[in-house]
Amino acid sequence: MRFLAALFLLMGTPAEAAPLKVVASFSILGDIVHQIAGDHAEVTVLVGPNGDAHTFDPSPADAAKLAGAALVVSNGLGLDGWLDRLSASAGYAGPRVVASQGTTPRTMVEGENPKPITDPHAWQDARNGLLYALNITAALVKADPANAADYERHMQAYGMTLAMLDKTIREKIAAIPKAKRRVITSHDAFGYFGAAYGVTFLAPEGLSTDQEASAGGVARLIDQIRRENIRAIFIETMADPRLIQTIASETGVEMGGALYSDALSPPGGPAACYLCMFENNVPKLVAAMAKN
Amino acid sequence: MDGQTVQAAKPGAAIAIRDLTVSYNRVPAVHHLSGDFGAGSLTAIVGPNGAGKSTLLNAIAGALKPDGGSIAISGIARRDIAYLPQRANVDQSFPISVLDTISLGLWHETGAFGAISGTGQLRMLAALARVGLKGLGPRPIGSLSVGQFQRVLFARLLLQDAGLILLDEPFAGLDTPTTTDLMHLIGEWNGQGRTVAAVLHDLGQVKQMFPRTLLLSRGCTAWGATQLVLTPDNLAAAGYAPGPWTGAR
Amino acid sequence: MGLYHSLIEPFVAYGFMRRALAASLALALGCGPIGVLLVLRRMSLMGDAMSHAILPGAAIAFLLAGLSLPAMAFGGLIAGLCVALLAGLVSRATQLKEDASLAGFYLTSLALGVLIVSARGSNVDLLHVLFGTILSVDGPALALVAAISSLTLLTLAVIWRPLIAECFDPGFLRAVGGGGSAYHIIFLALVVLNLVAGFQSLGTLMAVGMMMLPAAAARLWARDVWSMMLVAVAIAFGSGLIGLLASYNFNTASGPSIILTAGLAYLGSIALGGNGGLLPRYFPRPHYHTLPPEPAE
Repeated sequence: MRFLAALFLLMGTPAEAAPLKVVASFSILGDIVHQIAGDHAEVTVLVGPNGDAHTFDPSPADAAKLAGAALVVSNGLGLDGWLDRLSASAGYAGPRVVASQGTTPRTMVEGENPKPITDPHAWQDARNGLLYALNITAALVKADPANAADYERHMQAYGMTLAMLDKTIREKIAAIPKAKRRVITSHDAFGYFGAAYGVTFLAPEGLSTDQEASAGGVARLIDQIRRENIRAIFIETMADPRLIQTIASETGVEMGGALYSDALSPPGGPAACYLCMFENNVPKLVAAMAKN
Repeated sequence: MDGQTVQAAKPGAAIAIRDLTVSYNRVPAVHHLSGDFGAGSLTAIVGPNGAGKSTLLNAIAGALKPDGGSIAISGIARRDIAYLPQRANVDQSFPISVLDTISLGLWHETGAFGAISGTGQLRMLAALARVGLKGLGPRPIGSLSVGQFQRVLFARLLLQDAGLILLDEPFAGLDTPTTTDLMHLIGEWNGQGRTVAAVLHDLGQVKQMFPRTLLLSRGCTAWGATQLVLTPDNLAAAGYAPGPWTGAR
Repeated sequence: MGLYHSLIEPFVAYGFMRRALAASLALALGCGPIGVLLVLRRMSLMGDAMSHAILPGAAIAFLLAGLSLPAMAFGGLIAGLCVALLAGLVSRATQLKEDASLAGFYLTSLALGVLIVSARGSNVDLLHVLFGTILSVDGPALALVAAISSLTLLTLAVIWRPLIAECFDPGFLRAVGGGGSAYHIIFLALVVLNLVAGFQSLGTLMAVGMMMLPAAAARLWARDVWSMMLVAVAIAFGSGLIGLLASYNFNTASGPSIILTAGLAYLGSIALGGNGGLLPRYFPRPHYHTLPPEPAE
């Protein structure tokens, strides 16, 4: 009789009921949620790997994903303003967490527009990543108290890993003389990284992603590289690879390789998780800066 | 015109036509024709439009394959034929000078790749003088009148120095002085022994200058001495209306 | 000082500018004469048709060798040659003229290429990958363009007489046993070769533009084929030089700058050209009262 009662109790516990449906706005958030929640949550990411969250244009299918969600995770800081509109149109009234809550925002200048805007790339500072994880954990606990213990446990482990990562990055970069810590890159996402770890990121002059290259533009970029004497260059997304090669051979500088800043790579790629992203970027940056 | 002779005597070709049929789209333009162009003969080919005159010349020149019968050319090399087609085939708007145009007449000497020799140059200038175009060498052919351009083509024929000369309506649209000049030239060629055959429409000219005639038409085909061929009966059967030049009373 | 800075210094200071200028010269020397012949033979739209016709060759090369530029260029060359040669042969052997037979073949070729690419399920814009820009000409690409230009000039010099004869009096050439078709085929092969090399190193706009615009402009100045070609080469190279300087000083895209310069030369030629332009027509010079003296022998 007691055996049957125990059986009933076991069956009755809601712990292994359907996993929590969580929707994250983009791949980095999705990964952090997955690290904290593990099997307890089924994470749907709206802007997938290699996607561009700045210019994402949601479709009705995305609204449907929101409909059954128990928690929506957004970045904030102006990255995913479209999420508010999407939630409204999907009629989602459930819990929402802004992962960047509590971070100190920076400003940036985007593209040709001289007016500064809020820089949304807070996750490029590993300490902010810690804040993200904490915010997400709190939201998960609130939405799913039954598994709070697991969430807290995962957070502990993840938090330690992040702290270790932050320390490692600082050490690696500190090993490079301050004068050499300069990088030219087309990614405008490294503002927080630069401020946190003491690296100066410069935008390439003369080239732009959406326009065909002009002779004057190429000349100015070459001038900049020579003038600033920077050998750490990451511009592979900006132009035809042959043009990049021309610039490389003219300046005698080898291009630094692919960096991941706004999204993760697909699974199996070099930056399939948030931690992996740093593990891909930092060694490349360090190796390139050492050549300066 | 300069009376200087450009060419020496040249043996003419004899052409034997046996049962020749040449057709367009299965419709025979030349139908079972037989006859001879003797070596050194001067023959006019006459007949209403569409009777197959151009087709016959094309076939003799080797541009058209006969459907039946044979054309046997003897006395000259196959390549030694000079053929002047009707004017429409040459692009006169092409930017090329008179001299360069007639230089093609020296093809048998130079081939595709050879240079033109000093004698070649002299012969070209002499040919121009002979046809009355002295000094017009550098002119673009687009700036020439119809008569002048036809003289250019005759100069080219001169340079080809061929044993068989085929002319398709060589005087169409030309004024009388030009026609007379060029007719003299044809007479000279024949005098040098070359075989000449010309498609003509001016029956008066034919009766005057051509000893032999081939009359081609649906209604009547006759080949022989001009006065025997161009009888009023033949001409009527060929479809010519009676008039002063057909000799009908 | 300002003039030197704007006009000379760019080529002194930057290797890529020097190579771009050299590539313009090589392209002008090869494409100029070919373009003149295309204009005279009324085949002016062939360049654009060819840029589409090479697709199945590039697609098949992509299937076999992946994203390898030499392989795709070679495949494109084969496809282009097939289309050009087939079109040429068909126009010789049937009622169809050059323009209709070429249209038929290049459209079929393009459709075949699109089919192959979509069957593979790849989203890669193959032709976009294949086409370069003059700013990214490197040593090997420059050598290729130069070699093809040299080959073109040499071949044209050798087959000059039969080629010209074939242009304006093909009947005569056939009658003297000159074999017109062979020279036409060689010419078509040269056209495709210059175009594909041009596409691959310089982009489709530049290759076709450098071929046709200077030739069309030259038609309005020169009275014979030889001087037409000289004028075409001069205009082509001049456009390259001025276009590159404009792109350098005003930060405009390089390819379009060069071609627009050639376009301006073309418009200018229409207005002012001595041989059939508008100026002599509307502002004629006074006529001769006595005939001008004939040139001496």
